[in-house]
Amino acid sequence: MIGSMRISAGMKAKTHARIVEVARNLFQDKGFDVTTTRDIAAAAKIATGTLFNYFSSKEALGMAIVAESLRAGHDDYEARRRGLESLDEDLFLLIACCLRCIEPCRNYVAPVIEAAMSPFAQSRLCPEADEFRAQHMERVADCLSRHDFAMDSSFVAMHLYWTLYLGVLGFWSRDESPQQEDTLALLDQSMRLFVASLSDNHARLEVSRDA
Amino acid sequence: MTLNVNQLVAELPDEAQLDDSPQRALQDLIAKLSHKPVPVGAFSRLWALGTLQAKVGAAYLVHWIRSSYADADEKQRQLNETHLKAAVKVLGSMSYLRGAIMKIGQALAAYPNLLPDQFVDMLSALHFEAPPMHYSLLREFVRKELGSDPEEVFESFDTKAFAAASLGQVHRARLKSGEVVAVKIQYPNIARTIQSDFRNMMALLSPMRLQREWDSLRDQWHDICQMLEWETDYEREASFLKRARAAFREEDDIVIPKVYDEYSTKRVLTMEYLDGVHLEDYLKTNPSQEERDRFGTLIMRSSFRIAHTAKIWYSDGHPGNYIFMKDGRMGVIDFGCCRVFSDDEWAYYKEVGVTFLQGKEAYRETMIHTHGFDPDNPRDAENIKFIEEMGDWYCGYLLHEGPFDFSDPAFLRRGIELMGEIPKRGFYRALPVDTWISRHLIGLRSIAFRLQARVDMKRLSEEEQLVVD
Repeated sequence: MIGSMRISAGMKAKTHARIVEVARNLFQDKGFDVTTTRDIAAAAKIATGTLFNYFSSKEALGMAIVAESLRAGHDDYEARRRGLESLDEDLFLLIACCLRCIEPCRNYVAPVIEAAMSPFAQSRLCPEADEFRAQHMERVADCLSRHDFAMDSSFVAMHLYWTLYLGVLGFWSRDESPQQEDTLALLDQSMRLFVASLSDNHARLEVSRDA
Repeated sequence: MTLNVNQLVAELPDEAQLDDSPQRALQDLIAKLSHKPVPVGAFSRLWALGTLQAKVGAAYLVHWIRSSYADADEKQRQLNETHLKAAVKVLGSMSYLRGAIMKIGQALAAYPNLLPDQFVDMLSALHFEAPPMHYSLLREFVRKELGSDPEEVFESFDTKAFAAASLGQVHRARLKSGEVVAVKIQYPNIARTIQSDFRNMMALLSPMRLQREWDSLRDQWHDICQMLEWETDYEREASFLKRARAAFREEDDIVIPKVYDEYSTKRVLTMEYLDGVHLEDYLKTNPSQEERDRFGTLIMRSSFRIAHTAKIWYSDGHPGNYIFMKDGRMGVIDFGCCRVFSDDEWAYYKEVGVTFLQGKEAYRETMIHTHGFDPDNPRDAENIKFIEEMGDWYCGYLLHEGPFDFSDPAFLRRGIELMGEIPKRGFYRALPVDTWISRHLIGLRSIAFRLQARVDMKRLSEEEQLVVD
């Protein structure tokens, strides 16, 4: 019994990996919008219904692929961080590492973000997106706390960060400038602006506390 | 017409409106932030406009443009005011020009009698500035340009820039083969941003119908755009460096840095690092007169050689372009804003030198012929007299026996005055090379003045074949 459970878990992991692999190739080759769950199931040699045992929708599957790469960006960030960065540089580095790691997904990252991570997306439809957002914001909170800012000091600031983050991802996905240099400039300026807004809130809090 | 600083500040149109601009709001925000525990120093420095110098600089431009339509009817004047205000706002939002505007303001505060034309000429001579890049941004940019992170491309890479460059910054690094290099890196996207802003600026100003002045403004703006295009093309700069470097031998004691092509692109330029100091720091070492004269001679020789042998013309002899090296050699860097003489320009340049040495009459005849002056026309006669004065200032030292003493402030001042006259008289359009030559010579002689150097220019020019028969 234990042996068969082990095989079953192993089989499940293999099927999961196979679905992700074929979906990645199909998204890359055919495009996200054109690819159907039926195409993915056929390529993975499973029934379409079986696919939904693993992913609730095509968007969730796309998000799982993108999130996996973005999480690799988190690890990359930890490896590259020197500990000498200013706050705006630290945040720049975090996002730049994410961009490096999702480079292979660039062709289909925009529709995935639009469907799963947009501020208008319904969270219940794509738990993978919610999970990634929580993980990413945890990194941001760590980063802020290292620079003496509390994560819960302003939900407005956090929402602003998330908006800028998605904006940069979206811009990058369609950036046709040489070597995507516009994205670098946008990311740099965005993080400077975000840090400025944080500081402003910080100052207001200090003033109201003093009062 | 001359103005003092207070008049200039008063010329700034509708200041209340400007102060309500988003830039002002941002400036206030940044001012608040300066007390907060956030590293926004560079950001603050980049955006904080509002000093007297900057206002004076902006006001001068406004005055100059406004004075151009003083005779227009009321309706046209109102229309122009609207366009002008919009244009000034655009100008105010150009953070990469703020340093330039402030420098103009500073210069005007010191010399309030400068004329509008001189102001515009100063503007075109100033360099653009980019926001400072932190290492993480720089690393991404280098990776995209050179294919790998700086720490992988180079044996070592200093994360802190050792010098600012026009629209970028310079880092010291060591190649895996051991050579110490200077890596010049451009801020991403800045060149296209500026070009786009300038197009907007011209679109805003174009309905103003400034007639003759409009042509001048458009030409000046075109010159700035052209310079920007040159300065942001590091491949172009690399080609000038190589061309100039080939003109020098080891025994000249003048070094043009070697370019490392495999580590260079259009926006990353890797060159040999020259170990030394700039003029200000060199002067702090209290060098002897003999040393000053020697370095002065090297600077002048480098200028002759680059022009006469490499046939390249520097836009300006900025002190930052010369390195007083620890081993006694003179390094010449920054070939971002150079141009090659055309055959016609080179012929003109040679002819000026040759005829000057032949005597006043020959020089005068050449100038009359080149510029198409009519000696019987009173205005042309005045211009001929002016050109003769220019010739004396440009070439006079070729007739001077023995060391020429550059420490005379009257000599430098006269050159600055004459240069200011060039755009005023309007004939520099026919021969743009004159503007370049003037700008370079003023810069070069300013350095020699600060060095208090004495240089045997006659002998040097003969050695460098200034006059090629």
